[in-house]
Amino acid sequence: MKFFPGCMIHNRYPGIEKALYYVFEKLGIEISPLEGSSCCPAPSITRSVSSELWEELAQRNLKLADGETVITACNGCFTTLLEVSEKFGAGDVRHVAEFFYAEIGAEELKKYVEKRLPLKLAIHYGCHFFRPSKHKRFTSPERPKMLDELVEVFGAESVDYRYKFMCCGGGGGVRAGATEVSHDLLRKKMDGIAEAEVDAIAVICPLCMNQFDNGQKELRELGGEDYGIPVIHYVQLLAIAMGMDVEDTGLERHAIVSHSFIEKLVK
Amino acid sequence: MNEEYLRKLNTCIQCGTCIGSCFSGKVTALNTRKILMEYIAKGKPVKEDDTIWFCVTCYACQERCPRGIPLTDILIEARKELVREKGLPGRLKNAFGFLAEYSALVPARDEHAKLREELGLPLYHSQFVDGARKEVVEIVRKHLGGVVR
Repeated sequence: MKFFPGCMIHNRYPGIEKALYYVFEKLGIEISPLEGSSCCPAPSITRSVSSELWEELAQRNLKLADGETVITACNGCFTTLLEVSEKFGAGDVRHVAEFFYAEIGAEELKKYVEKRLPLKLAIHYGCHFFRPSKHKRFTSPERPKMLDELVEVFGAESVDYRYKFMCCGGGGGVRAGATEVSHDLLRKKMDGIAEAEVDAIAVICPLCMNQFDNGQKELRELGGEDYGIPVIHYVQLLAIAMGMDVEDTGLERHAIVSHSFIEKLVK
Repeated sequence: MNEEYLRKLNTCIQCGTCIGSCFSGKVTALNTRKILMEYIAKGKPVKEDDTIWFCVTCYACQERCPRGIPLTDILIEARKELVREKGLPGRLKNAFGFLAEYSALVPARDEHAKLREELGLPLYHSQFVDGARKEVVEIVRKHLGGVVR
């Protein structure tokens, strides 16, 4: 299998990649980086300018895998590579979360857990994980349960919260192009998460992660709310539960670092 | 706007499910239905309405539309027409500038490359592989010649 990092994991949150290799090694599945791969490119923003560019870059990335399954840990990369691979009948593309759920299974994953993590988590799926759903038939876009079940693998609890299925505000070029709007959406989402009194926000997309992580920092710097709620990718949580040192997951290099959360993970 | 999209838009029953489902519309003036019906189905291209860039493309409206109108896809198509006429909005121009230079919409700076190094991870994104970067940049420039320098 080939790991496709995309810009956000390769260039912003490499700890996710490190954790992913750890988990795959534990599971005994061979995976190596897709060398020379570029920006996927991001689905909505690129198609807002040129569909031809979107397709050609995605096809180039798919071709690099030379027939091997491509694993992504980003919802945007997943959407782009999956849709283009379907359109041209080239390549097998999986998102690591649905791969774990469908191919390994929650019960099987439990066998690899060395350390239980009895955390309260606010789960955020991210819009492009299950939509557009005609390409993603693995879960319901209205009432997905997959990630809620996946965190139970290591004894964590998925806490229900207001706006659970709302967008983080990062997608569609809004974070880059209309930052104020993106902040307004984030604030709404964060208010719901703060009410639920969780240990952390668990995501499966590095763009959502960046929006929650750096976005919280930006809200604070703008003189607004200081939520201070750490954000972690599911793969990082799973790796820690499988015995990876917290330090190696890059968690302490995120914008929002919570020492009480790290203590709970180390314990 | 292409014929198929126009035909579908004209099957709209004005039920409002799209704006009722719109997250961005809750915090901004984005009115998906207005943009799509007023401007597009009635043949008035979107020229001045910046709210079209407030759509996070979550696809909730498209998935819930009882007439199966591909609203998000059409909105993205409308953005494309807008870009052809007015160019990219300022901050998005930067992002595509990065793509045309570094082969990444989100390029690494030194600090990011250093973090990878500290974690013991190689630099293999096309941004760091000369031949690959050149190849990608050529593709980007071929398609975006008029949009980014």
